[in-house]
Amino acid sequence: MKKLKNIILLTLSAAFLAGLGSCSKDLEIENPNSPTITNFWKTAQDAQNGINAIYSTYHRVGLARNEFFLTIIRSDEGFSTSPNPVLVNNFDVFNVTDYNLWETTTVWQDLYIGIARANQVLDNVPQIYMDETIKNQLLGEAKFMRGFFYYYLATLWGNVPVLLKTSVPSDYPPTTKQADVYAQCEKDFSEAASVLPISYDAANVGRATKGAAYGMLGKCYMQMHQYSKAADAFNWLTEGAGKDVYDLVTNYRDNFLESTENNKESVFEFQNAVNPTDNHDDDASGNPDNLNYGTSIPPFFAPRPIGFTDGQARRWCVWEFLKEKTTDGKRDPRLAASFLYDSTDERGPDYSMIYGQTFSSRGYADVSGDPIAVATTHTVYFRKFLNDATSNGEVFHSGNNYRYLRYSDVLLLYAEALNAMGETTKAYPFVNRVRARAGLAPLPAGLNQVAFLAQLKHERITELCGEGHRWEDLVRWGDLSTKLSARDQGFSHYTDKYALLPIPQYERDVNPNLVQNKDW
Amino acid sequence: MNNHFYQNYGRCEQYRPHLFKWRGPLTNVKNSLPFARILLFIVAILIFNLTKAQSPVEVSGKVKDSYGLPLNGVSVQVKRSNNQGNQTKVLGTLTDENGAFNISVHAGDSVVFSFVGFKNYRLVYQGQQNLEITLTPIGSLQDSVVVIGYQTVLKKDLTGATGVVNMENATKISAGTVAEGIQGLVPGVTVRNGGAPGQNSVIEIRGVGSFQNASPLYVIDGMLSDANVTINPDDIASVQILKDASAAAIYGSRAGNGVVIITTKKGHAGEPLVSLSGKYGFQQLPKTWEVMNAASFLKTAQQQYANSGVAMPKDIANQLQNNTINTDWQKAVYRTSAYQDYTLGISGGSPSATYYVAGSYYGNQGTVVGNNFTRASLRINTEVHKGRVTFGENLMLTDNNNDYPGGGVNVFYNSSQMLPIIQVKSDDYKDPIQYPSNPGGWGIGSSNNPTYANNYLAAAALDKVSNEYGKLVGNAYLQIKLAKWLTYKFNAGLEVSYDYSQEIRDTGIWRYTNQPPETFVSEERSRFTNLLLENTFNFDHHFGKHYINGVVGFSRTQQEREYTGAARNLLQDLNGTLYTTIGSAIGSPSATGGINNKWRSHGWLGRVNYNYADRYLLTLTGRIDQDSRFGPEYRTGYFPSAAAAWRISKEDFFKSNTVNDLKIRGSYGQLGFSDALTPWQYVGFINSSTRAIYGTDQKPQLGQYQSIITNPDLHWEKRNQLDIGTDITLLDNRLNLTVDWYNSTSKDVLLIVPLPQYLGSSGSPFVNTGSIRNTGIEFSAAYHNHDRAFKWDLAGNFTTIKNKVLSVGNQGADANGNKVNYLQPANFVRSQVGHPMASWYVIKTDGIFQSTDEVNNYKNKDGKIIQPNAKPGDIRFVDLNGDGQINDDDRTFAGSPWPTLQAGLQFNGSYHNFSINMQWVGVFGNKIYDDVRRPLDSYQLVNFRSDINPWTPENTNTNDPRLAIDNGNDPSVSANNMAQTDRWLENGSYARLRNLEIGYNFQTDFLSKMKIHNARLFVSGQNLLTITKYKGLDPDVANNNLGMRGMDSGFWPSSRIYSVGIHMEF
Repeated sequence: MKKLKNIILLTLSAAFLAGLGSCSKDLEIENPNSPTITNFWKTAQDAQNGINAIYSTYHRVGLARNEFFLTIIRSDEGFSTSPNPVLVNNFDVFNVTDYNLWETTTVWQDLYIGIARANQVLDNVPQIYMDETIKNQLLGEAKFMRGFFYYYLATLWGNVPVLLKTSVPSDYPPTTKQADVYAQCEKDFSEAASVLPISYDAANVGRATKGAAYGMLGKCYMQMHQYSKAADAFNWLTEGAGKDVYDLVTNYRDNFLESTENNKESVFEFQNAVNPTDNHDDDASGNPDNLNYGTSIPPFFAPRPIGFTDGQARRWCVWEFLKEKTTDGKRDPRLAASFLYDSTDERGPDYSMIYGQTFSSRGYADVSGDPIAVATTHTVYFRKFLNDATSNGEVFHSGNNYRYLRYSDVLLLYAEALNAMGETTKAYPFVNRVRARAGLAPLPAGLNQVAFLAQLKHERITELCGEGHRWEDLVRWGDLSTKLSARDQGFSHYTDKYALLPIPQYERDVNPNLVQNKDW
Repeated sequence: MNNHFYQNYGRCEQYRPHLFKWRGPLTNVKNSLPFARILLFIVAILIFNLTKAQSPVEVSGKVKDSYGLPLNGVSVQVKRSNNQGNQTKVLGTLTDENGAFNISVHAGDSVVFSFVGFKNYRLVYQGQQNLEITLTPIGSLQDSVVVIGYQTVLKKDLTGATGVVNMENATKISAGTVAEGIQGLVPGVTVRNGGAPGQNSVIEIRGVGSFQNASPLYVIDGMLSDANVTINPDDIASVQILKDASAAAIYGSRAGNGVVIITTKKGHAGEPLVSLSGKYGFQQLPKTWEVMNAASFLKTAQQQYANSGVAMPKDIANQLQNNTINTDWQKAVYRTSAYQDYTLGISGGSPSATYYVAGSYYGNQGTVVGNNFTRASLRINTEVHKGRVTFGENLMLTDNNNDYPGGGVNVFYNSSQMLPIIQVKSDDYKDPIQYPSNPGGWGIGSSNNPTYANNYLAAAALDKVSNEYGKLVGNAYLQIKLAKWLTYKFNAGLEVSYDYSQEIRDTGIWRYTNQPPETFVSEERSRFTNLLLENTFNFDHHFGKHYINGVVGFSRTQQEREYTGAARNLLQDLNGTLYTTIGSAIGSPSATGGINNKWRSHGWLGRVNYNYADRYLLTLTGRIDQDSRFGPEYRTGYFPSAAAAWRISKEDFFKSNTVNDLKIRGSYGQLGFSDALTPWQYVGFINSSTRAIYGTDQKPQLGQYQSIITNPDLHWEKRNQLDIGTDITLLDNRLNLTVDWYNSTSKDVLLIVPLPQYLGSSGSPFVNTGSIRNTGIEFSAAYHNHDRAFKWDLAGNFTTIKNKVLSVGNQGADANGNKVNYLQPANFVRSQVGHPMASWYVIKTDGIFQSTDEVNNYKNKDGKIIQPNAKPGDIRFVDLNGDGQINDDDRTFAGSPWPTLQAGLQFNGSYHNFSINMQWVGVFGNKIYDDVRRPLDSYQLVNFRSDINPWTPENTNTNDPRLAIDNGNDPSVSANNMAQTDRWLENGSYARLRNLEIGYNFQTDFLSKMKIHNARLFVSGQNLLTITKYKGLDPDVANNNLGMRGMDSGFWPSSRIYSVGIHMEF
């Protein structure tokens, strides 16, 4: 009897045990935190959101801040007196020892994040059942953006891996030669140009356009010295259908103010906005409520103590503007728009306003004992990214759009292409149009090809100084050399290897198929 | 559980050594006798045996516990030998509530006293009139019962490698966590202390076999729950550490890093016993950096600027002329602070029910201002028996508060770097031009006095974080004795934790060029639940010389954590009152979190122990686990193990007067480890964090894509472990030795494969691809001598762990087709196949250039000058590959962060009422990367160590390079300071006097009037002495990143604690 009771108890317990165990559904738990990949890339909205992810890329720290050290400070326009020697060594005096430098590799990484986003769209959107016109436009935008990111890689690092499909961990691509990277950009921009709209409605202005694609296509050819192809591409903007879309704004400074973004001179802009609750700029993790979707460069360029002054302008840039007066005998109005310095106001330091205070009252004139002594009295700050017109300080989230490609740049590049093709005369009106907006007289006729190019170099400095194109210009013109040390001492340490950045060591450690750039 | 072990124990009696070799009665008899008298005593026994008195005697007596409390219900059995020498029971009785008993006994009879939770006590009756018996609780050494997971066994019958912590030593340590208390006590167990209040210690068992997580699994009274700082160590009765596969396999997929089994204190039948222990102490940092005062700093800085031909910053120049500021920053931030630990407990019960209730308070302010940790806890353990049914519960309620500064300012870096010519705070620093956004006037660098060091005190004042952890953890169980040999147990465990964290950011900055955020308050609330349901059957049977016992069962775990976070900026500050709730803030609100992670696992478990004649022991253990954290194809795992032992000392051929017990054992098995993963990592998910801006309104537009590449093939890490060991007891059971050799090979180790950045993945997936081997020898010895008035015991252990990376998975191939076989979290550290994990990988230095000629003559074989920018006084680096330049290709292996030898030594002595405890720990053979010294010795905009000896043309016999400013004009200065060189590596060996305690036991007579059974007063000093060459604050470094284990990135040093305490029972 007792034994029976035990057996019953035992059986019941065993049954209970088995019952719990057999319930394998118990182990199927849905992820409530985010949709899985199997539920995505199904609708037109998914496609649109995929495109938005690509555009988000230029708010990441590489493109919203660090690239400007490479494109502006490293060139002969800029230099650094930062107390942080890393910036001085790497972006001013060509003393690069760390191939994994955060400031540099974040640019690399963010460009490839953008490319991965574009590749996902290009791989998945074609299968989505949706309006074909819109689909084509979206694919065009993705191609444009992918080309755009590769263009940066080609200009900065030159020989880089090219990935055109959704990434898988087993991708160990070889190095692609710089010319072939440009060729990929060319392909993307061409295909984008054929499908992108000429313009957008108010709700969508700022997205990639046909004009932007032709502009970038032209820039690609310019860097490859394929001038007639470049001219063909620019032609759509300068003499073709785009001629009626774009124009120069009357007031040059409007190109750098938040209130006049996406104007008729704008060919392609990084779209920035202020998030007052921002505290990070990693748009792939962290809390989107605190995501910075602005640029953080103003505090890095602003004069101390408003900002860090990690980069500033060389004085010779100012002199370029003073070489010539306007037709009515005034100073080139672009000078004050380009720099904050002791004479941003022609009357001098007592009148030149630096964030609500005069240059003098901020004590910049007093140099004794200043660790950046040599620079101070001569200090010139890049102004174009700053918000000094509207604010007395700078924060990490500036909503001011970065006008990456302006119509005046296109006009000058078109002229340069024509001149390079031997059609110097044909190039004149495009340069004069840019000069006229600044109030300058037309160029004297009869300049030969060499003299015209020399003149163009002056025009580009005065029109585009501090906008991030100087390094490319110097590369294209073959002007990178220690000769530049006459106006930028940093170049005394320049050697040819610095024409390209070193491929990050990290990447080569992981993928030794990658070849390091020459002499690094 | 208790019943079960009791059976075991009774059975063992028959295998006991002869009475005269048995230490039990001799040491337990009141007023234990000196050696000579023991001899006499033995002689007397022999005479009595010869004379064999035949008439029975009525004897009365009393049974007490070691505190002198009467024990009610103790079984007293009289056994008599017949002519064949077989003992039979002739009489049995129980003690009454006063512990008293009466028996009728013959001389020569054995009298056995037995009681649950205590060691059996046996004596041969020799005609004594009054028997005063003191039973000792199940305590140490070979007789002790060891919890091995769902079962208990005698320590002597262990087949697997199980470390048993000597709690007497562990409780001497002033420790916030269980782990902290056991540093140096158990071989094979590595503990690294965290010195911050409320910081958890790092504990690792048999080395690190994972790149992600090396923490063991904790089991507290059968509940699988973390024993972090929220658990009061004073509540703990015993700690066992399951080290090898056989021991740990019952926990299957979560046991890969070893298992720590904690049993909390239980009540014993008897009068209520109140125990009070209190400790109050002062703590301080044992060491601070020796940095310069203002005068030396100014002189050195002047030299530095002069050397570089750079104008001095204005403030340095001014202070040189008239030095008005001399701040000792370390003195300003470090403090001597209070350390308190109190526990009040009451326990008792009857044979049918027992209880233990204890309340405790622990307070640790830490050695740095702005920190505080407090813990209040309540424990209630009860157990009720009725017939075949036992019901019990173990419950702990705890509330913890932890305050510290936010803002991520590491005080150990910054307080040593900060310039002595900056004041902590002054109205001078309120000038909005020189010091924008600094309304508090905190001392920071400026363009006139550049330094990027943070003012820690400003951070502590402006950014306050407080955390509160409220936690309930416990389990309840129902045990039914189904048959004499079979017990069913249902165990339900629950852990619920409510965590709250608040950060309040006031206006202002703590560093030169800091960008001040808006004021804000951010709050995070999280809820954690951990639910355990278990059904187990324990069986236990012996027939003839065969003895078999074991357990089978099913276990289900569910864990869930939910976070919600919110923040709002712009706090209102009205007339100096700061309003700090989200409701009172007036700026933009944001949600900072809101996720839910949940997983479940099912486990079928079983273990069989077989014992033949106490000579041959075999243990087979297995577990099948299923876990929701893996994809359906990888959900099930099998974790088998086997162990065998041979007690040679029981063999007939074994005859030794020296060796009392000798057992050799071996085990092999496989464990899993799954706790490095959060749920759902096996399936790709869509990131919704990106935002595009376009349109004239520039409004953010939702962007979505798959931001992280995923790996659908995720599964558990595996550990294959082989263990061979021996347990030896010698010299009348006075000396216990245990030696183990093991080989633990981790396979399928989760790695974040370092994806190239060009893949554009924001983060990398885990891949089961690594393999790490740890091999080592563990040795422990314990000797005790309690025969004389001066009683002492000495225990020592050492551990060697050899860590070797066997695989880091497929990292592609290099240009020559060679496999890339390393991981590299920073450019000076590598986990490479064939080398220990996280080995240093650096450019070697080779002294200092003494002259321009030396620079120019330092060429490679092609005649290329290797360091053309160098000047005399700069560091010479080894051009390892001979390519004529110094770069990352010249790096090489330069030591590892893992000690070659770890040791512990504990000494306890007592003389009359005085006692002494001394504990030493030693760690030898490791290298530490001193990242706190790196910025100091780089000389750039920081204070200097006071003992630097920079090179000058006149001072050439030094390893410190010349003083110079790194402003871009002097490229070799930044070369001197490169992070990836051996300049920053230091010998991490140390020996430390971990604890020294002197105690005094008050006389029972004196206190008995006050009904105090026992009172002990002690003073102790912790971390009084550390012998090391390490220059940093504490060589006891454990970087949270396992891949950079030996990097001292401002690790909080262990405190030196002087304390006085009392322990009383009444």
